[in-house]
Order: sequence, then C-alpha cells, then structure tokens
Amino acid sequence: MASTTFRVFRYQPDSGESESYHQDFRLDHEEKTTILDALLRIQNEQDGTLAVRYSCRSAICGSCACKVNGKTVLACMTQVEEAKAESGADTLQVDPIGNFAPIKDLVVDMTPFWEKFKAVKPFLIPDGPAPDKERLVPKAAMEKVAKESACILCAACYSECNSLAADPEFVGPAAFAWGYRFAADERDAQRKDRAKLYSGDHGIWDCTRCMFCNERCPKGVDPRDAIEKLGAIAFQEKVTKDKGARHAKAFLISMRQGGKLNEQLVGGYTDPVGGVFNAPLALRMLQKGKLPKSPLTHKVKDRDQVTKLIKNVKETI
Amino acid sequence: MARQFAYYPGCVAEFSSKELNATTKALAPLLDIELLPMPQATCCGAGDIAEAKPNLYLTLNVRILSEAEEMGADILTICNVCTLNLRRANKMVKEDPRLLEQVNADLVNAGARPYQGTIDVTHLLWYLATEEGLSLLEERGPRGLNGLRVAPYYGCQLLRPSSVMGFEDPDRPQSLERLITALGGEVADYDGKTRCCGFPIILAREEVALKESHVALSGARDAGAQAMVTPCPLCHLAMDAYQRKTEQLMGEEYAMPVLHLPQLIGLALGLPTQSMEFKRHFTPVDDVLETVGA
Repeated sequence: MASTTFRVFRYQPDSGESESYHQDFRLDHEEKTTILDALLRIQNEQDGTLAVRYSCRSAICGSCACKVNGKTVLACMTQVEEAKAESGADTLQVDPIGNFAPIKDLVVDMTPFWEKFKAVKPFLIPDGPAPDKERLVPKAAMEKVAKESACILCAACYSECNSLAADPEFVGPAAFAWGYRFAADERDAQRKDRAKLYSGDHGIWDCTRCMFCNERCPKGVDPRDAIEKLGAIAFQEKVTKDKGARHAKAFLISMRQGGKLNEQLVGGYTDPVGGVFNAPLALRMLQKGKLPKSPLTHKVKDRDQVTKLIKNVKETI
Repeated sequence: MARQFAYYPGCVAEFSSKELNATTKALAPLLDIELLPMPQATCCGAGDIAEAKPNLYLTLNVRILSEAEEMGADILTICNVCTLNLRRANKMVKEDPRLLEQVNADLVNAGARPYQGTIDVTHLLWYLATEEGLSLLEERGPRGLNGLRVAPYYGCQLLRPSSVMGFEDPDRPQSLERLITALGGEVADYDGKTRCCGFPIILAREEVALKESHVALSGARDAGAQAMVTPCPLCHLAMDAYQRKTEQLMGEEYAMPVLHLPQLIGLALGLPTQSMEFKRHFTPVDDVLETVGA
C-alpha cells in the first residue's frame, strides 16, 4: 500500500464560490494506481462534489487531461507513484489543463478548442463525384500521415502552448496536426486552399517553436512537426506571403548567397512595411554592432556544394 | 590535454552577438577546451529552412556533421537552436540507415563528403554541467560570483523535445542552477525559466513574441534576480535587445541585465571584462560587475 496527498484545484462558481483554491485529500492506495483512479476514489469516498471529466480510462477518449505538478498528462495513463518519483514530492498538485477557462474544479470550457478544430476543416475534401467503391490509397501514402492520425484531441498540447498563452486566437497544435493529416492525404483536393487557410492571422506562422506540444503529447503525434510540414506544404504551393513565410524565405536566400545567415536581410525581408516601426530598434542595433553597417553575405568554404544541394535536393512532402 | 571540439558557434554568435563568440573563445583555454574552426559549415537553418524545405534542412545539417567527422571531433555548440537542429538531423539519420543513404547520395552528388554517423553534438552547458566540469569550474574560479543572484533561463530548444535533447529532465532542469552555485552565485528560482522567449517569431509576430518574453523577464525580476543567464544567443536578443520594447508593450520595468552563459563563467573565472564585450549589451551590466568585483 502507498499513501499520497492530492492537492486538487477547486472552483465551484455555481455553488457561490467565486474564488478558486486548492484542497488537500489524503488517500491510501495500491502501489499501482493511476491519477484518474485516485481522483475517482476521492470523489466516491471523500467529496462527491469534485468535478472530473473522463470516459474511457484507457488513453483513447482524450477526456481526462489535467496538470500534475504543473505538467499536462492524461490522468488515466499516469501512475501516482511514478509521478511522485519524477517530481521528488509526496504531494501531487492536480490542476485543470492550461489556456482554458475553468468551469468547475478540473473541468474546463473547451469551446475555443473545438471551434478551432472545426475551422481547419478536419475532414477529407476530395474532388469530383464519389466513386462507386472506396478510394484506394497505397500504404506508403498513409504512412505520411500515420502519426498525426493518432491524435485523440485531449488538448495536452494546447494546455501548454506558449504561443496560445500570448495569443489566445492562435489556432494551436492539435488542430494543425489534423490540418496536416488532411492536407497531406493524397485523396484530398484542397492542398493549396488549406495552405492559404492555415497561413493567415493566428495560423501556422504564429508557432513559436517552444516544443511543449511535442513534449507533452501522450500519443507521439508531434504537433510542432506537423506545423513545420504545413509550412513546407505552403512553400510547395507557393503560399508564402505571410511574414512568417518571408522569414523562412530570407534564410533560404541567405543560404543561396553564402551559406550563413545574412542578418540584415532577415529583418527587412520579413517585414518590409512594418519594419519601419522598428527603425529605432534597428538604429540601436546598428550602434551596438548587432547589425552590419553595410549589406554583407557570409560565404562558407566549398560553397559550390551548398549551391548544388539547394538546386538538387528534392522535397518529398 | 585540452579536449578538442569542432566548434559550431552558429550565425547569431558569429555576427549579431559577437560578444558570445568572443567570450567563448577567450574562455576555452581556461576550460581546457580547444575550439577547432569549421570553415565549410553553413547555417543550421534555425528551424526556418526545416519548415520551408525539410529535406534540404536535413542534408545541410548532415553536411555539417560530416565536416566534424572528417576533423575527428564532436561538435560543441553555444546556441539552443543550432543544438536542436544538428541533434535532430543526427538522430534522424542515425536511426534510419536508408535515410542516411539517400542524404549521402545527395551529398556525394554535390561533391561533399558522406557522413558515417559517428559524431555527437553537445552544448557548452552540457559539457560543463557534469561532475568533472563542475569541479573544474570550482578549481578555476578564483574570484567567484560573490553571491550574485542569478535567474537561470533555459528557453526551449535545449530542453525540448527531450527525445532529441535528453541531457536532463525538461521540466526540472538543474544544469544552470548547479553551474551558478558552483561559481559562487545564488539561484533566483522562478516558473518562467523553461518558457519560450518568443524569438523565432519576433520579426513576424512581434507582439505575441514580446508577451512571451515578458513571462520570463517578469518572473526573474519578481524572484529578485540581479541578472539572468541564458545558454542561447536568440533568447539573449529577445531578453536583452528587445527588453525595452517589451517594457513599453507591457507597461512594466524589468531593468534586467542578461548574461550569455560564457560571460557568467568568465566573470567568475576572472576573465578580463573587455574580452567579454559587455558594451554590446542593451541593458547595462554595471551593477553585476560591481557585485562580482570585476
């Protein structure tokens, strides 16, 4: 037997509690007990008002994501003793997932998540009339989207996305994993339209590459990698007007020019219009020697190899 | 005998943030490290080339790994982003011989050397935050940091994804803390130390980026830090060069000196102040120098 204190986030506005707080529950339990089992036992044995969202108990439905000592996990696939060993603490703090408004205790309002999910058109849009039989796809083609197809929409990625914390309108990692899953499906006829849809304000170029989504995903979806691949699809479809795409283009131009970053080019090329507002900063950067005084390229040895690679390496996205 | 590394400072340390490159070079002999130049090495693409042309990103990075392999030395980096990009490419081809074969075919066609998959990529922080590294620092640090209160700032890409980085627990990293303590400093702990500085999107989405860096800057300030230290020159630009813009946007004051990791070590080891080029910083470091007695 083991014993653990669970410090649980409580918030019950419908019962007249306008402020949230943490409440400690002490529980004796088997060594092999999941966070979800522990929360449900607390609900059954100690406080029936504790609100927890769950369904399948086996890491498929994606309902029970929560934060355990600050780290977003699926409660049903996280062992209490392992979480304690990892954090080195006997008390486990359980909070609702982040970047959402709480409704009651560990239950949050997921409306924005579902709205963004719908906005990426997470379904196949083939061209022409439906065939008589199913549309056959070679195995290799489906392997391209196999990882992303494993998403269970648990929002563990969304919970800790740093771009979302700064821009609540950002579409976010899970929705874009689904976006890639269909944009890269060879039966889909909307590749270019999807590239445009995903590239707008609060789109793929909002991703700050904090890598929290890849770190937290319980299913190995790697949403950041999907966003990266959507960038490559946007490039392939020549949807490159966004400042984020121009930023990436400036790196390609630098590579062509000499092999290393042309730091003066990157700022001006990314944002030729808005860059004017950054003139005071650019001036100070010049004064501090953080920008070169005249345009320059940095040429590496054997640059012809780089030139050939740029010309010859085929993209397979 | 000095440990030899193929030195990959990355574009930002080489150009915009020269003070980082200069300090690392000045510090290397004190750490028994020999930094071998990599004249063929290109930019790692910073994640940007990866999101425009993924196969080109991979091939360019494997070409960098191959240059180090030819030199017979592992790669030493001083930038989070370079570390992730090089390590990711290395992992991809080491785990997939068929992929390595394809990449090597492209390299050979372009007249470049094929890669055998024998090189490791490590960051200066990882090299020093080991038992041997820390005892070396304690032994070589005659002056120490005199109790300077330092907020460790890791940023993202030296920690995550841990499947590629893997040096330490990405949620409870301790390498910077151990280093600050070994150098005679005091750790100012705060939640924002593993959050994003926003730099990758600072030119394309400035406001979003500055709101991100605010989390770390305000956290360090509230923890009573006299300075922040970072292992990444991109984080440094976001925290230092853009600090005033973030103050204006958020309507708050941080007045937070931001040190590159080798500068913090250099201060403790008594490296001449001029060689660390603090004059290139936006936020003055005078109070830091005074506390340390430099």
